[in-house]
Amino acid sequence: MSDARSRKAQQRQVDRLVVEFGRKRDSVSLFLDQLFLAVSTSPKLVPHVHSFKKRVKDADHLREKLLRKAQECAETNREFDVVPSELLTRITDLAGMRILHLYTRQIEDIDKALREIFAEHKYDLLEGPFARTWDDESREFFRKCHIRREKSPSLYTSVHYIVGSASRTKITCEVQVRTLMEEVWGEVDHALNYPHPSESLACREQIKVLARITSSATRLVDSIFATRIDYEVGRKSDRAVAPREKSAAAKGRRSR
Amino acid sequence: MSAQAHGAGRPYRISVFNHKGGVGKTTLTVNIGAALASLGRRVLLVDSDPQCNLTSYLVADEVVDDLLDKSDSTHGATIWSAVKPISEATGNVNVVDPIELGTNNLFLLPGDIRLAEFESDLVEFWAQCFQRKLKGFRGTTALSELVHQVSHGHNIDYVFYDSGPNIGPLNRAILLDCDYFIVPVACDLFSLRALKTLGKTLVDWIESWRTVSSLAPQDIPLLAGRPKFLGYIPEGFRVYGGRPAGKHSYFLSRIEREIHSQLMVLLRRVDPDLAPSRVQQAKLGEVKDYASLVPASQKEGRPIYEVSAGTPDQRGSAWQVFRAIATKIDSRVHGGSIG
Repeated sequence: MSDARSRKAQQRQVDRLVVEFGRKRDSVSLFLDQLFLAVSTSPKLVPHVHSFKKRVKDADHLREKLLRKAQECAETNREFDVVPSELLTRITDLAGMRILHLYTRQIEDIDKALREIFAEHKYDLLEGPFARTWDDESREFFRKCHIRREKSPSLYTSVHYIVGSASRTKITCEVQVRTLMEEVWGEVDHALNYPHPSESLACREQIKVLARITSSATRLVDSIFATRIDYEVGRKSDRAVAPREKSAAAKGRRSR
Repeated sequence: MSAQAHGAGRPYRISVFNHKGGVGKTTLTVNIGAALASLGRRVLLVDSDPQCNLTSYLVADEVVDDLLDKSDSTHGATIWSAVKPISEATGNVNVVDPIELGTNNLFLLPGDIRLAEFESDLVEFWAQCFQRKLKGFRGTTALSELVHQVSHGHNIDYVFYDSGPNIGPLNRAILLDCDYFIVPVACDLFSLRALKTLGKTLVDWIESWRTVSSLAPQDIPLLAGRPKFLGYIPEGFRVYGGRPAGKHSYFLSRIEREIHSQLMVLLRRVDPDLAPSRVQQAKLGEVKDYASLVPASQKEGRPIYEVSAGTPDQRGSAWQVFRAIATKIDSRVHGGSIG
């Protein structure tokens, strides 16, 4: 088949997939709302979270993504085999949810809470969690939390879950967990550099530097909270030695 | 749907439904139920209308009074007594015993004014189904579960829900639980206009439930959600010289057209299985104005053809009409295709 003809065939296949998405959009949206409700109102999870976001994929973005995938397949001599009946399970981020928190160490509690929520509300955890990271120290932290690590040459960082609807209609949702600082980098990168890298060297360079700064900022917030925890543990053991000081300290707090 | 595909032991659930009041829903339900019972089928009539017309039709006033007095207690035997634990979130459906009526093979699950309270709970349950909360599914299927248990305990072949004249949450839960529904239509302009709302509403219910249930966890109770149009019955028209009178004859053809365009076409768009393709097959029978027979039937709590009013001739012809409708229903639901 000539290049032009195969490109046309690809285009038609992508068109069919986008039409199918239009048909299923309401179900995808309802599924996302249901999952979002379960996650964002859970008393187990909420104390560890700063904010929640959700979105159903935009049809134009889906088209671009599918065309990119098809192109990748063509370049590597693989068949682009996503068919309409499998769209909702093969493209795992048609529904997307983001959980933002303050510092890296919170992921331990968030991961535990998320797994409990998925089980309680009868959702399937199909993939993950896995963490994209480029920082050795956080890679080591995720290893301790039993979260799979993946490299991130683009400097993108986030913990991912793929959740399935566990119902007659199979739909998936991508849940991303990241710190507020990582969100700052992600949003800037997404606006200027993704999916098509910026043509400006200065812009690309600055985005890479921003990754170091937001990463350091997250690390600093981790450090601040670690310091506070250390301080409070210290105070508790002081109290255990001298219980009388407790009421004095409490009074002091009240008068402040 | 064939009898086998329907599942052994599961009764056919049917609702005589029209949200337009005064079209003879309860009268039809009683008489079709009794006629099916006379054909040897075991029939359970469920009074799922908080107005309790069916119960007052079939049960003496003092018995109804007693039922309603006790319905809130642990000995309650009405439909409210059964769903109260769901409404109050204290447990599962409380299976009550139906009343065996004088006519052989005919049972009644008595209604209750307080079912109106459950109806307001159903609004919340429905919303919870959209949120995929298990409590919502348990609440929405509570009546269905009750009917299942009662039918199973009494080897029931047919369940007839009698419903109030509205498109509220109770009727939504009932219609979505039914295998079939029958539409009674009176010969007047309002009845014709009502058909438009009826078709739209049913399609909306079926499609909403389809979406909700396709996203529901796989092992939880669900309503079948595929009520098929079994047919319509023109009701209460006058007859002169063996034929419908002029104005009524005009209405009969209007009804046929509206049933086709406002109901059958819409249903078939959702799923061709939900209605027959040709409207000519959809009429189950015609129930003319039986004058004194209907009030007598309601007063005496007996089928129209067993009352003391009217002439033997009138009763005989009423009997033939209902018997014919019952036979048609029986052969349609057992005979596979409905069109």
